[in-house]
Amino acid sequence: MSELRLADLNRVFMVGRLTKDPELRQTTNGTSVANFTIALNRRYKSATGEWKDEATYVGVVAWQKLAELCKQYLAKGRAVLVEGKLQNRSWETEDGQKRSTIEIRADRIEFLDREGRPAIGAGTPGTESSPEPVHGEEPAFSKSDDDLPF
Amino acid sequence: MTELKIPNLNRVLLAGRLTRDPELRFTPSGTAVCNFSMALNRRFKDQAGNWQDEPTFVNVVAWQSAAENIGKHLHKGSPVLVEGRLESRSWETETGQKRNSLEVRADNVRFLERFESTAAAPGPEEPSESPDI
Repeated sequence: MSELRLADLNRVFMVGRLTKDPELRQTTNGTSVANFTIALNRRYKSATGEWKDEATYVGVVAWQKLAELCKQYLAKGRAVLVEGKLQNRSWETEDGQKRSTIEIRADRIEFLDREGRPAIGAGTPGTESSPEPVHGEEPAFSKSDDDLPF
Repeated sequence: MTELKIPNLNRVLLAGRLTRDPELRFTPSGTAVCNFSMALNRRFKDQAGNWQDEPTFVNVVAWQSAAENIGKHLHKGSPVLVEGRLESRSWETETGQKRNSLEVRADNVRFLERFESTAAAPGPEEPSESPDI
């Protein structure tokens, strides 16, 4: 029997609501990156039989075109389905301490709100062609170019 | 058309290896809890066309019989498949600072290692061939 290798398996699926507007920035070489946090809710029955809600906050990062679409269409309170992988992120606090956490690197984000769709900000020029509609039935925007191999 | 509600969806699927021996402990009420850290590998081609490995480290917590089985049978380097959900964990540092981190609460942990089936090896107490939990 031949030897097996361990599968590269790292997949997450989350549905939640944005806790803030997404932040879009550009890396030094011009790549777009969007960051936002989603709140996931879990409802469970406590030991005494009451229903309780428990929130979990998860950071999401999206790159390139997907990042720009997030900035364009998402805002605080919007619901999304996020598919992606877990990755580590480390940073230094102001007093120089190292911290790290895990976040989701999104491959696909589905915008779940039907109404009030484009999150058009104040600065959006009105003369441009109307933004792509983002409905529930709209296929999700996805990005897979640098995500080899699968 | 009926109105939809948001599904409570929080699912994680990971395969990797333990970075150290798992820590099994018991709560004051006797419930088993096992914490371990696993390293996942992502292999990708860089811009120059070379294969690169990028590890991701994830903390996992398992409870009850799963925790006990992990504590008994797994060790540093053991390959596992973990299914569960992301959960926040808060704790205080020695200096009293509050910290928050995300970990995976496992509801299904599969051992991916073939166990030597010698009688000498301490097998699982439950009669199962491979201790999937």
